[in-house]
Amino acid sequence: MHPIIRLVNRNITISINPGFLIWQVIFPLIYIFVAGFAYTSLIDNVSFGNKSLTYPAFLASGMIGFNIMNSTLVSGIIIWNDRRHGMFEQIMSGPFTRSHYIISNIVTIAIVGLISAGLITAVGYPVFFESVEFTLITIPLIIFCSIIGAILFGSIASIISTRIRSSEGFNVIINTAFLFFAFVSTAFYPASGAPQPLATIFYLNPLTYLVDIIRAGIFGTITEFVILEMAVLVILASILFIIATKLLTKLDF
Amino acid sequence: MMNMSSIEVHSLSKSYNSILAVDGIDLNVKSGQVFGFLGPNGAGKSTLIKLLTTLIQPNNGKISILGINAIKQPLSVRKKIGVVLQQPSYEPTLTVEKSLEKYGMMWNVDKKIRKKRMEELLASFELTTIRKKRNEDLSIGQRRRVQVAREFMHDMDLLFLDEPTVGLDPSARRKLLDFLKNKVKETGLTIFYTTHVLTEAEYLCDNIAIINNGKIITVNSPNELKKTFGKEKTIKIHVTSTIEELKKLLQEIPDCDIEEDGGIIITIHSTNSEIVLMNVLKILNQNNISIEDLSAVPTNLEEIFLKVVSDSNASNN
Repeated sequence: MHPIIRLVNRNITISINPGFLIWQVIFPLIYIFVAGFAYTSLIDNVSFGNKSLTYPAFLASGMIGFNIMNSTLVSGIIIWNDRRHGMFEQIMSGPFTRSHYIISNIVTIAIVGLISAGLITAVGYPVFFESVEFTLITIPLIIFCSIIGAILFGSIASIISTRIRSSEGFNVIINTAFLFFAFVSTAFYPASGAPQPLATIFYLNPLTYLVDIIRAGIFGTITEFVILEMAVLVILASILFIIATKLLTKLDF
Repeated sequence: MMNMSSIEVHSLSKSYNSILAVDGIDLNVKSGQVFGFLGPNGAGKSTLIKLLTTLIQPNNGKISILGINAIKQPLSVRKKIGVVLQQPSYEPTLTVEKSLEKYGMMWNVDKKIRKKRMEELLASFELTTIRKKRNEDLSIGQRRRVQVAREFMHDMDLLFLDEPTVGLDPSARRKLLDFLKNKVKETGLTIFYTTHVLTEAEYLCDNIAIINNGKIITVNSPNELKKTFGKEKTIKIHVTSTIEELKKLLQEIPDCDIEEDGGIIITIHSTNSEIVLMNVLKILNQNNISIEDLSAVPTNLEEIFLKVVSDSNASNN
């Protein structure tokens, strides 16, 4: 078995626990079915491309991107825990290279992100099935988002975990960063309804791009702007991945 | 096997921010032995282990591990060695048995062999009763036992153990040392062992190196070290007398101390302790001073270690 596969196996074993499953599955479901329907009286139909979506359909599709981002927390937590509990040094004194370690983390979060996206898509399907417009590129687009989202947010989580030693500091910074990404984006509400400065900030947030692409895939509204968003995500993910890799490579023992 | 070298190091140096942690070390460790590595805190032991296990790169020098150039082919080296580092390493959410099983998997050990080894190690390290406990719920000593046991899940030719008995009770410590001795005997494994507990080194090691200030001061077997550095012997005589009387009687005899510690004790500490003893006994006999007890304190590694390190510090100053 290849070293990366062995590390992925280990990463998944140590990451999957009841707390994580509740965070990954129960929390989004509450959002989709409780907040989605409760807020329908406040937020009427939402325009997306040439479509008019119900708020629950808009929210459920946003939750796919939100969940992909959340699953990347795994990467930061794995690296941080490995450093804190001596496993990083132990793994690096075994039959692995730093590249194996970094790639295995990205693969782990891509798998968790993909399963998570699939799960939310399946569970959310009854909510948005009226508007759904499956095309040949719907599934590839969701897979693309899972992988690019894993690399992008996983790199951010990795960068934070390489810089912060204390548990309090790590939790505060990672929660603040991910709270910003989650709520200053179009995952939960459309940019069109927000004040202009806030709507602009939404588009400085990669999660907005991610959920836009997912929605475009699900509701069949692919435009040139969506393709531009894909390009931006690829470039940003590449830059962050290089930074995360360099920082991990320089980690001292 | 014994004639081959598992570790060969030449002119090895490593510095951190201009502080020389390892200073031009030369070392040769033959295969199939337990090689002890002793030194005071900050002497350079852990830095040397990190260099030998390829965790860090040296500034200068050559390292050959099991015949492989460790600087150019670190991964090839790491595939053949086992490492138990000084700091604890564990996955908090895994149970003891899952830790062993997953560690074996990480080393690509076949599933059936993993299962068999896991059961053997759980028994050998007395972990059976806590096999379902999560690592985060274990005591420091139990966690240390898991950490050491885990390393034996995979095959290796050379094992680095950096203070493996820290946190272990005397019984667990002795069992670990016996386990290691048997492993070396049965499999021809080479062990590079650092410790602060000198009785451990004496019990376990075939050869011992003492390091201080980044330099190796001496390398030899425990017995040879005793012969070389243990020439000064200590003899204690408990007598019935007074300090004043004895000080007066023995004032002409060198290397002889008198102290009161629940009785009067004459301590002879000399390279010619036998001659000094004869002279003391003669004087005691002439003055009708009765001897309650007489004992020779065997030279132990601890005294040698302290002497070697203190001589080294003195010569550096």
